[in-house]
Amino acid sequence: MRSCEEPRWGWGRCDPSPILFLSLLSAAPFGLLGEETRQVSLVVIPSDVGPPENLLHIRAVGTNSTLHYVWSSLGPPAVLLVATNTPHSILSVNWSRLLSPEPDGGLMVLPKDSIQFSSALVFTRVRRLGENRGEEEKVHQIGGTEAWLFEFDSTNSSDTAAKPPGKPYPPYALADFSWNNITDSLDPAALNATFRGHPNHDPTRAFANGSLAFRVQAFSRSGRQAQPPRLLHTVDTCQLEVALTGVSPRGNRSLFGLEVATLGQGSDCPSLREQHSIDDEYAPAVFQLDQLVWGSLPSGFVQWRPVAFSQRQRSRESALPCQASPVYPTLAYLLPQSPIVRAFFGSQNNFCVFNLTFGASTGPGYWDQHYLSWSMLLGVGTPPVDALSPLVIGIMVVALGAPGLMLLAGGLFLLLGPKKYSEYQPIN
Amino acid sequence: MEEEEEEARGLLTSGPDQASRDAPEVPDPPGTLPALCDPRRLAHRLLVLSLMCFLGFGSYFCYDNPAALQTQVKRDMQVNTTKFMLLYAWYSWPNVVLCFFGGFLIDRVFGIRWGTIIFSCFVCIGQVIFALGGIFNAFWLMEFGRFVFGIGGESLAVAQNTYAVNWFKGKELNLVFGLQLSMARIGSTVNMNLMGWLYSAVEAWLGSAGHTTLGVTLMIGGITCVISLICALALAYFDQRAERILHKEEGKTGEVIKITDVKDFSLPLWLIFIICVCYYVAVFPFIGLGKVFFMEKFGFSSQAASAINSVVYVISAPMSPIFGLLVDKTGKNIIWVLCAVVTTLASHMLLAFTLWNPWIAMSLLGLSYSLLACALWPMVAFVVPEHQLGTAYGFMQSIQNLGLAVVSIIAGMILDTRGYLFLEVFFIACVSLSLLAVVLLYVVNRARDGNLNYSAKQREEIKLSHAE
Repeated sequence: MRSCEEPRWGWGRCDPSPILFLSLLSAAPFGLLGEETRQVSLVVIPSDVGPPENLLHIRAVGTNSTLHYVWSSLGPPAVLLVATNTPHSILSVNWSRLLSPEPDGGLMVLPKDSIQFSSALVFTRVRRLGENRGEEEKVHQIGGTEAWLFEFDSTNSSDTAAKPPGKPYPPYALADFSWNNITDSLDPAALNATFRGHPNHDPTRAFANGSLAFRVQAFSRSGRQAQPPRLLHTVDTCQLEVALTGVSPRGNRSLFGLEVATLGQGSDCPSLREQHSIDDEYAPAVFQLDQLVWGSLPSGFVQWRPVAFSQRQRSRESALPCQASPVYPTLAYLLPQSPIVRAFFGSQNNFCVFNLTFGASTGPGYWDQHYLSWSMLLGVGTPPVDALSPLVIGIMVVALGAPGLMLLAGGLFLLLGPKKYSEYQPIN
Repeated sequence: MEEEEEEARGLLTSGPDQASRDAPEVPDPPGTLPALCDPRRLAHRLLVLSLMCFLGFGSYFCYDNPAALQTQVKRDMQVNTTKFMLLYAWYSWPNVVLCFFGGFLIDRVFGIRWGTIIFSCFVCIGQVIFALGGIFNAFWLMEFGRFVFGIGGESLAVAQNTYAVNWFKGKELNLVFGLQLSMARIGSTVNMNLMGWLYSAVEAWLGSAGHTTLGVTLMIGGITCVISLICALALAYFDQRAERILHKEEGKTGEVIKITDVKDFSLPLWLIFIICVCYYVAVFPFIGLGKVFFMEKFGFSSQAASAINSVVYVISAPMSPIFGLLVDKTGKNIIWVLCAVVTTLASHMLLAFTLWNPWIAMSLLGLSYSLLACALWPMVAFVVPEHQLGTAYGFMQSIQNLGLAVVSIIAGMILDTRGYLFLEVFFIACVSLSLLAVVLLYVVNRARDGNLNYSAKQREEIKLSHAE
């Protein structure tokens, strides 16, 4: 594998080599990794009490492990990820308890001792940052919202050395959204479903023609999506695409952000790593991969490229930078409560939060076409690692091999070929 | 891009101004002139030299305007990289043809003075149209501006060299070529590092970024072209005056171009053409796209990215004369070309496959680029009879421009769809094709006992034996 070694020298600092990667797979302490194929199913679990609620269960069964992803828009949109070391584990839902004010134990994966890893993500707020420092935002600042805003402001200014993205407008709390019925958008064959929502209380009618959508995609084989950011996915992962469409922005050049909460481990927060790569073939001009990893590998991970798009055809012209704040611990009561997280993990949990900001005050932005999309990959095990594409390797082999061979052949020809003047000897 | 032309033209100086030499010495000057105004005095020639240097400054400065303002052009004009690179392609298209006719136009049609003024006007008007395209938010107008600019740009370099030969033949000619070359590099470097800052200044002045800001910035950049035009006018005046005082003739490029000569070109010459095209298409389009590459991959600031993107020019300014001397003293041109191409290959590999500080790779690229220019262009003279030299150089520049135009477009398309890594791999493939041609040239030369790879000593001996 000459060609693989050539380019390796400068391979991203954090990227393990393929050999290391393979050894990690074989040395994985629990047998839920490296499954080549999984039986993946998407099921909406119907509510047996009260009005229908959105609870989407993705079950990926391998030969000796099962992954459960539970997506719900009960409260703020949230996902649980649970990995078990048996192909027979099941999700059990007690709806009456889940919908009660104390949902602890309303959601379980059985058998409990088969659980190898579990965590959750909660999408709590969509933040809006306006470049124009208008007066109007004051009108909408009420009560506790202000505290959130100022808290965000200070963390933001201390963390990003670059120019501050602008003055925040009041955020949209995603817990106060109403969502479509997930059953309508479920496509069990294509393994995807979309949660589409708008705020219950929308005095400015910003969402009159718009919506916020969370599109969930599961995979039965590894590969890449056709559209950028073209993250490498495996059967152990599922993809979330967040899309904001048609919402009237408050300012001329409003930026949007997403606040994501997750469960900490003990007192620590999961770490956010920025991997620099040499390879931007799948997402032109993006040389970075961001990863949120719970504890030491292999565990759960969230992976995304720091890029969002302002147009449906996601070309390089519509690419926006996506900045992630560091992950910081926060208090549970400051966050809107997610019943499914509480139901699975109980009430004693440490939460950590990080913010994503899409776009910058210059360049393309949401204002172009009132469209914004961003994708991430959620999974268990070792995060997929990009490798040079066969085409690149092929070209390099030919490009370096041909002159090398030519040099060799030329050298041989000159050594062994006809020597015109070798017989010539001076007479004396 | 025109810089290699200088190396080429340097060789074309065999007989253009025999006339001026043969002209009778003026026995008594018409009255006593101060040193600065006397065409026979060094001081005056230095004045003319500075005019010559600034004559090319404008076109070199403006040639790489798009590279220096890549992000701004793409954002303000809302174009993708493919369309952005058309700005370079449109510069090259007219020169595919004009490289054959530049010398002819100067010698037979316009004369050096009017030729220079006309080409300077083309450069000026081209830049103004280019800037107006920005102000009116019409990208096609910008493309048209670059086309007009291209008509003037390359031919102006020919005119500049003709002037140099005319004024400095047999005196300080090599130094003058060196200085003109350095001035060209300085123009490119200043452009790379100044335009981004100028754009910000205009943005602050106008209050917002946008196509108007871009247009105004380019218009201000066009001042350099006006300066060049003024130099052209001044040169025409001084040249005419010198003719009157010294009774010398107007300078000629002395180029004789016969397209039918192409069929007589030998295999080594074709290989030299391949080396030239495949090499330069991996350098100039890369520099055109380089700024954003350094910002995105290596996290450089806009200013730092501009600086590093101009490193190739900065290095080649002092290194060209040094390498020229080195190649002259040692001979062995093919080996030097081989070294240059291999180093360039290594430099592109570093840029593509490592996250090492790109200063290393760009410095290597700058060194190898300077070395290649010094070793490759003189080789043509060894494989072509003197009467075909003009055709050979014209052809070489023509297909080089063709290559640059085509590859600029391809590079933009690759970047939009497959990213920088793939683009770098494409450039590596180009350089490797060039390397293949060098190796082949070496083998062919050895097999045919050609004179391309003689050392300086061998060349000297052959010269002596011919003399006997």
